[in-house]
Order: sequence, then structure tokens, then C-alpha cells
Amino acid sequence: MSKLEQLNPQDHGHLRLRPRSEPEPHFVQVVPVEFASAAACCPILFSKSPSSGAFYAGAMLGLKPGEPALKSADDRGGFEPLNLQRDGFFVSGEHIVIDRSNPRFSESEGEPLFDEAQQPSVALRRIQRVLRQVHDGAAQSDVFIRELVRLKLVEPIDISLSFDDGERLTLEGLYTVSRDALRDLGDADVLRLFRSGHLQLALTMAGSLNQLAILSQLRNRRPNKS
Amino acid sequence: MVRPVKRVVIVGGGTAGWLTAGVIAAKQRSRMSAGFTVTLVESPNTPIIGVGEGTWPTLRSTLSRIGVSETEFFRQCDAAFKQGALFARWTTGTADDAYYHPLMLPQSFSQINLAPHWLASGSGMSFCDAVCPQGRICDDGLGPKTIATAEYDAVANYAYHLDAGKFAPFLQRHCCEKLGVRHVLADVSRVNLTEDGDIRSLDTAQAGEIEGDLFVDCTGFKALLIGETLGVPFKDCSDVLFCDTALAVQVPYESETSPIATHTISTAQSAGWIWDIGLPTRRGVGHVFSSRHISVDDAERELRTYIGPRGKDLPVRRIPIRSGHREIFWKRNCVAVGLSAGFLEPLEASAIVLIEMSAKLIAEQMPVCREVMDVLAARFNATTEYRWGRIIDFLKLHYVLTQRNDTAFWRDNRLPETIPGRLQNLLLLWKYQSPWYHDEFDRIEEVFPAASYQYVLYGMGFRTEVEPQIVAGTAKLAERAMRDNHTQTERLRAGLPRHRELIRKVVEVGLQPV
Repeated sequence: MSKLEQLNPQDHGHLRLRPRSEPEPHFVQVVPVEFASAAACCPILFSKSPSSGAFYAGAMLGLKPGEPALKSADDRGGFEPLNLQRDGFFVSGEHIVIDRSNPRFSESEGEPLFDEAQQPSVALRRIQRVLRQVHDGAAQSDVFIRELVRLKLVEPIDISLSFDDGERLTLEGLYTVSRDALRDLGDADVLRLFRSGHLQLALTMAGSLNQLAILSQLRNRRPNKS
Repeated sequence: MVRPVKRVVIVGGGTAGWLTAGVIAAKQRSRMSAGFTVTLVESPNTPIIGVGEGTWPTLRSTLSRIGVSETEFFRQCDAAFKQGALFARWTTGTADDAYYHPLMLPQSFSQINLAPHWLASGSGMSFCDAVCPQGRICDDGLGPKTIATAEYDAVANYAYHLDAGKFAPFLQRHCCEKLGVRHVLADVSRVNLTEDGDIRSLDTAQAGEIEGDLFVDCTGFKALLIGETLGVPFKDCSDVLFCDTALAVQVPYESETSPIATHTISTAQSAGWIWDIGLPTRRGVGHVFSSRHISVDDAERELRTYIGPRGKDLPVRRIPIRSGHREIFWKRNCVAVGLSAGFLEPLEASAIVLIEMSAKLIAEQMPVCREVMDVLAARFNATTEYRWGRIIDFLKLHYVLTQRNDTAFWRDNRLPETIPGRLQNLLLLWKYQSPWYHDEFDRIEEVFPAASYQYVLYGMGFRTEVEPQIVAGTAKLAERAMRDNHTQTERLRAGLPRHRELIRKVVEVGLQPV
């Protein structure tokens, strides 16, 4: 049960922030500014929000819900999705809201959120930057995705994987950028996509599919994988 | 020298006219640059008859093919999801007498015929619930998909209920803005023929003379081209289907949050039946009856009793029905689509699906030149006559299977001389062998598949004799299919949203195109 509170030095001056300790989810929403570093270590795919049906881009850290990520943050070249970095913190209007029930918050361990002058600490300022990037990134994502859908560049992808021990895994509800549709675009659309930076993002997503094979191999080698 | 067919002229701007225009224009789009044109001539003065608001799942592929967004369709046509029909009081007439004709096929339909297994099991479960989840989904008032399901994709098979008065203008905008259909608002004052008897052109009061190579008659009951001009006779079938009058009324919901039924409700009366169709903004309710068996006043009384106190002051519109169809549908260079081709009571929502099938056939087999037109016309006539025949059989089946004896209407409906011979033979066959997959209904595009016959037959208590040894061979497979059905039913009931909630979301945030 989450317990949301508006962050302020009066109530939270004593509060400290620990690193995330919970396992990483297998699929984490990412924003365009992260695409390049995400694509260097894992596939980026679209999924749909169950409540609105809207597309969002996510980095695939594992192949199956409930299983630990297939690469550690170190193996990912230090890549940690902004949405994991800001775990426990939310934006509501002009304010930061925290979920006190998140185990990251402690009164004894970790970095303080405020300094002695009741000003945001280094740790909190880092979180503030992350929240801003997530917030701005959400708007950029919307524009990017709307453009891709309008140009019919998003296509469903069925991923079926077979492992050495006979297990078969089918990943459903995922979408990617259609390379065929990209090739068929008219020159004017290509130019506009290029100038807006969306072509780079689209190609990054399409290219990141190659990471699927790597994740699949890693999972295959892992003993007692489930 | 061949005479190319490049100018299609559609007369009439109702559902039939605009659907046909859309289907032809979308299919022939690549020829537009080479001078192929689709023109729709519509009188600015003739009111449109909304031919019923129920459709078949085919409309999904039709709309998708002509490039309409399903989200826009919901926003502009007051549409709702339809997952089948509930037939109440058709079998015995008692209050608890009801069965579903859902749109999903029975579980594993292409591999196994579950009907004999269900019959042999003597299970207390209805046939529909034993073989498919959709009856339960309808009972729960759930939509057939989620907001995350792509446009036109289904979790449970579905069609639509729609406001026909909004559907035609919606199609019109799409046809004119996106598909290059020419729209001419003008009254046809004269139809000019060639010496051979083809239609050469139309004189119009407002737009002068309009020439064409192929004319599509979508002028409704008037049948201006196929009937009045070319004299193709009408084949009456009121000796089989007795209903000849409808009384229609629009019923508001009690509140904006009242549940919307996701199936057509058809409730049998003393000399006909009442349809009840839930749109997001209102219910469309109407009484279809045989005026030989009940007076209009009594029919209206039954309708108002059905609606209850809320229906007391609602205005009722009376619509005469003439059941039947043209002897042929394509004569010379003129083809009839929609009410000009014929009409049957809307018991199984066959009107719009027939329009779609006819339009598709015309669009796909579009004669390249006049010289081949008669060959294609003969083919079109054979297919279309077959379809009308099967629909008449299927509608009559509902009346033949009743056990009601309370009025002459129901008793007369079972008189052998009113039952088409083909249907009589099938009923004999089905006493010993249940219909399935490819037997009997072997056309590639059947209006009603064998599954529909199964749902109606076994929904209405029809018994097919089952030899135990025959079902023994596939008992394991059947058991698994029915178990799968149970699992799927519970999964869908847990995962699908409320119907009204789903429509609200579709209108507000829209469905994704993929």
C-alpha cells in the first residue's frame, strides 16, 4: 500500500535515501534521452498501457516477468533507467511527492535528502534532475510515438524463444519500428523525421532488436533460470 | 472495339450507396489516375431509411479495408459493440426461455464438432455456454476487447450496433475526402437507355446529364433503376416470412451510467417479435409483426408493455415491410444493392452484411469492359440469389423450431407449406447428423456459417440423435475443448472491461491502429 506525501524539509528533514534494493522489473519505461545508452545493452520495444491503450517505449532488462534482470547494471555499462533511478519519487504539479512505504526511505541509513540548512542535498538534487528528465521525456515520447503511429511505422512483433532445456517463451503485446515501413516512407517524411531527431530514435529502436538474441543466450546459460 | 467500364454511377445515398461507393473506390483506387471514377448521385430531398442498426463482424473488415478509423467510427456513429443476439421467449414463450446466438465460433470448431458431444453428455449447461464464452460475457455486460486491443482486433468476436442516420454521413465524408468519390446532389428526373436497353445516362434537375458505364441502384424501396426502369420483378416471400409491419421507437436510458447491452435482444410476442438494440445514447426498440395475425393497435400495446412506463409518451414510427427480393439483381449494366435488391425482417441483422457482400463482389469482379459484363452479372446473380435463399432459410428456422402454440402466428409458421423445401430437407438431415464446418455450407462466403445453425438449433431445444460409438472416437478431444472453453470463459470474464466503460474510453482516448 503506497503512502504518498508531499516532500518538504519540515516533515522529511531526517529522511535518508538508500539505493534501490528490490529486483529490477523485466520491462521499464524509458524516454528518448536514454535510447542510445539503453540500446547499447538491451532491446527497446513499445508496449501498451493497460489502462489507456497508449504506447510507451520500454527497455527490456529480462525476458520473463518475475525473473531477475539478465545483466547487472555494471554489465549494462552502468545504464540504469531513469524510471528506476527515481523509484519512490513522483511529480505532482510543482511539487515532489514521495511514497513513504518505499523501502528506499530510511531514517538511519543512506544519504540524507536535505542538508543542515534544510536545502536539498546532493542526492535529492540528483533525483530532481532525474524527475525533470522523466517529465520532459514523457512529452518528447508522446510526440515521437504520435508521429510514428501517424506514419504507420509501429508494428506488432511476436517473439518466440526456445531454450536448450526445452522451455519455450512467447512474448506478446510488444511492438517495434517497422523497417519495411521506414523504407517505404516518402522523401518529405524522411527529411522531417530526420530533422526532428525521430529518425535516429526509430533506427535506434529497430537496431536494438539484436539485443534480444544476446539476452536469450544469457538466459539460456543461466542455471535454474526460473 | 471493346467498350471499357470506367464510370461507376451509384444512385442513392443511404447506407447501401455509401458503403458500395467506399468499397468500390477503395478497391479500384489505383485505377483512378487512369480515368476510373465513382460518382454517387443523391437526391437532396429523399429522407434516408435507416435499415436497422445491427451488423455482422464482416463490417470490421469492410471498414478497415476502406480505410476508416474504428475510433472515429465510434466517435461519429454512436456505435456500440455487438456480440450476438439473445432470443427470449422464442421456444416455449415462458419467462425463463432464452438462448444466445453468439458471434464466436464453438471452441476448436475447425477440429471438432462439439454438438454431438454436448447432446450425448445430457449436461444441464446450455449449448452456447458449453462451447463458447460469449454468452457469459454478454450476461456480464462486458466489452469484447480492451482499450489496449488494436482497432478492429477482437478478444471476443464482435460486430456493431450503430446509428444508421449517422453512419451514412460518416461514410460520405470518408468517401469524398479520402477515396475520391464524386458526390452529386441532384434529383434524377429521367433515366436514358441505349438502343440495346442499357442505361446510358441520368437526367438530373440540378446537375444536368450524368453518363455512366455501370449503374448501381441504391435507391431503396423505390428501386428506380432495377425496378421502375428495367422492370425486374420482385419476388415476394411473405408466404414464408409473415411479418409485414414494424413499429420503431427510441428509448432513452434511465441514466448516463446505465449498462449498455452488448447483444441484440429479440423477444418473441404473440404475432412477431421485439428488437432491442443498445447504443451509447439510447436504445432502439421496435416491434416486427404480421398484420394478418395482430392489429396495429394491439401490436403497439405489446410494444409499450415491453418498454414499460418509460415508453408511455414516446413517439412510434410505423414502417411497412415487404419481405422478398428481386428475381435478378444485376441486369444489363445495372446492379441493385440494399433495399432496392430486397428486404427481410431484421431478425439476424442481414441487411448491412448483404450490402457489404454485394459491394465486395462488384468491387472485386469489376467488369473491365461491357463485353464481359453479362458473364459477371450471371455469376453475381447466382451468388446473390443463393445468399438471399440461405438468409430466408435461416430466418425461417427460428420460426420452425418454436414449440409455441399460443397463437395462430406461431402455429401457422410451422405449416409445412410455408417452409422452403431446402430447409425441410436440412431439418430431416439434422435429426440424424448435426451441421458442422463444411457440410452443406460450403460457399467461401456464407452469410451464416454452420456454427450459427448450431447455436439456433440447440438453443431452441432441437435434438439430433447421437450414436454413442460415433462420439466415443473423439471424446478426449471434446473433453479438452470444453475444458479449454471453461478456462477461457473465466479468463475473459476476469479481464474484459464493462461495455459502457470501454466505449467511453474508445471515444475519449481512442484505440491504437496496431
